[in-house]
Amino acid sequence: MEHLICAKCGVPLEKKKTAFQYLGYEIYEDLPRCPQCGQVYLDEQLVRGRMHEVEVEVEDK
Amino acid sequence: MSEPFRRTRSVCPICLEPAAAQLCRDDKTGAVFLQKACPTHGAFTVPVWRGRLDFEKWTAGAQRLGPEEGLRCPSNCGICAEHGRGTCCALLEVTKRCNLYCRYCFAHGGETDGEPSLQQLKQAVEDILRQCGTPLLQLSGGEPSLRDDLPELVAYARERGCPAVQLNTNGLRLAEEPEYVRRLARAGLTIVFLQFDGVTDEVYRTLRGRDLLETKLRAIENCGRERIGVTLVPTVVRGVNDGMLGDIIRLGASLSPAVRGVHFQPVSHFGRYPVTPQDDMRYTLDELMDDICRQTGLSADIFQPSCCDHPLCGFHVSALANPCCGDAQPVQTESCCCGDTQPTQTESCCCGDTQPAQTESCCCGDAQPTQTESCCCGDAQPTQAESCCGITPLPPAAPAPRKQQSPADENRNYVIRHWRRSLSPEEEAPPSLDASGAKDLDTFLRLLKTRSFTLTAMAFQDAWNLDIERLHSCSLHVYSEGKVKPFCANYLTAAQTES
Repeated sequence: MEHLICAKCGVPLEKKKTAFQYLGYEIYEDLPRCPQCGQVYLDEQLVRGRMHEVEVEVEDK
Repeated sequence: MSEPFRRTRSVCPICLEPAAAQLCRDDKTGAVFLQKACPTHGAFTVPVWRGRLDFEKWTAGAQRLGPEEGLRCPSNCGICAEHGRGTCCALLEVTKRCNLYCRYCFAHGGETDGEPSLQQLKQAVEDILRQCGTPLLQLSGGEPSLRDDLPELVAYARERGCPAVQLNTNGLRLAEEPEYVRRLARAGLTIVFLQFDGVTDEVYRTLRGRDLLETKLRAIENCGRERIGVTLVPTVVRGVNDGMLGDIIRLGASLSPAVRGVHFQPVSHFGRYPVTPQDDMRYTLDELMDDICRQTGLSADIFQPSCCDHPLCGFHVSALANPCCGDAQPVQTESCCCGDTQPTQTESCCCGDTQPAQTESCCCGDAQPTQTESCCCGDAQPTQAESCCGITPLPPAAPAPRKQQSPADENRNYVIRHWRRSLSPEEEAPPSLDASGAKDLDTFLRLLKTRSFTLTAMAFQDAWNLDIERLHSCSLHVYSEGKVKPFCANYLTAAQTES
C-alpha cells in the first residue's frame, strides 16, 4: 500500500471501504483510496478477477 | 392474410418430402403462419406466432437462410459444412427402455429391445468428442436412469473431456434410490434435466399416466443432497398446464439453490403423440412468454432470444431466486363452494407463517392486486393474491460486443454456468441473504452463484411447423448411427395414421 501514491495529490493511498453501484446493486470493497481527493485505485487482479466474475454472472459478458 | 414476407423450406407432414414454404402474417392480429404445399397431399397452414408479442422485433437477430442454403435439409441430414451452428449440446440415447408410457414422447420410449453395451456407449462418447469438440453431453433415452452402469458412463465422459454431463430423466429412480444419485454425483454428473410438468398430480395423470408430484419433489431433494443442479422441464400442453407456468416458477424458485431454473418445452408432435395437432393445440413461443408474464407479473422485455439457436427456437432469462420464497410449498387442494376440489397453493412466506388468501402484500414488498374470478357454480370467488413471482430478473445489460467464442460455445458456457451447482455448502450464500442492499464483493458473488435461476425455453419443431431456417441454426445435436444430426431432424416423424 505504501508504494501507491495519488498522481493528483501526491499523498499515499489508504485502504478504505469503497462503495460501488452496478446495475442497481450496491457492492463495497476495501480499496486503496486517496485521503484527499478520493480517487480509487483498482488493481488489474481485481478487475480481471472478481469484478469480471460479477460481470459474467450478471450480464453474461 | 398478408403476402408472404419470408421464404423458407419445410416438409410435407404426411410423406416428409421437401416442400417450399413461406411465412405470412395476419395483419389484424399479428399472428404468423407457415404455409406450404405438397403435390401429393395438398396445402398446409400452421400457426407459428399468435401475435401476442412483436414478431419482427423478436426475430430481428435471426440468421437468414440464403437462397442456395439448406436445399438438402433435412434429408440426408447429419451436420454438414453448410450447417449454421456447431454443437452446443450432444444428445446420446443410452436406452429405449422406459418406466413410464407418456402421452407425448419425442423418442417414442418404452421399447424393450436390447440396448447398447457400455463399451459401445463409450465409443459413442469418443465419436462425439471427435466430431463435436467438447459439448455438454446429454444422456437421454427412453429413461436413461434404468441403466445401472450409467455412473460409469458419466465418469468416462467427464474423464474424456466433456465439460458437463446432463441427465434427461423422469426422476423416478432418482426419487427411489438416493444411493444411485450419490453414485451419479461422484461420477461427475453436473445437471439433472427433470421432467416436471406441473404442481398438481392431475397434470401428471394426464400427461404421464400416474400421480408423480411427490416423486418429483423427492428426486429434487435427493439431487439437492448430492449437490447436482436440477432444472425443471415442463412439457407445456394447452389446457393441461399452460395455466400453471407461474406456479412452476414459484415452486422452482422456492427450491433454489437445488433447482437452478425452469426450461419450458411447448409440446411438439413427433415420436409419440395422441392426435394429429390442430391449430388450436399449438402453443407458440410468444404465447408461452406472454402467459408467463400474465401469471407472474414479470415484464415481457426480460426475455432474450437465444444467442445461438434461431429466435423462434427459444429464449432465456437470467434471474435470482428470491430468498423470501424459501419456504413456499405447493400444493393443497381445498373444496370449492360448488363441491369440486380446487387445486390451490399454500402461501408460506419467509416468516414461516401461512398467509391468508386475501393478503395483498407480497413477500417481496410489492403490493399485489387481489382478484376475483368466477367459480364453476357461477359465484364470484375471492382468489388468492398473486404471490411473489419467486424470482428477480437481473437488470438488462447494455449491448456487449460480440464475444470471441462461437455461439455454440457461448450458449454451452451459459447453461453450464447457470445450471450446475458450483459452490460448496460453506461457500453458498445463506437463504436469508437479500440481493438488495450493500454487500462486499465476495458475498455478492456468492449470492449470484448460489441464487442463480434461469427461465429458458426450447420450442421443438415437428413435421407440420418445420422451418429449415430454424433447423439451420440448431446447436442441439443428436448422435445417431455414427452421425450428429439437428435434434428436430433426427426425431422428425411423419403424421401417424389415425384409426
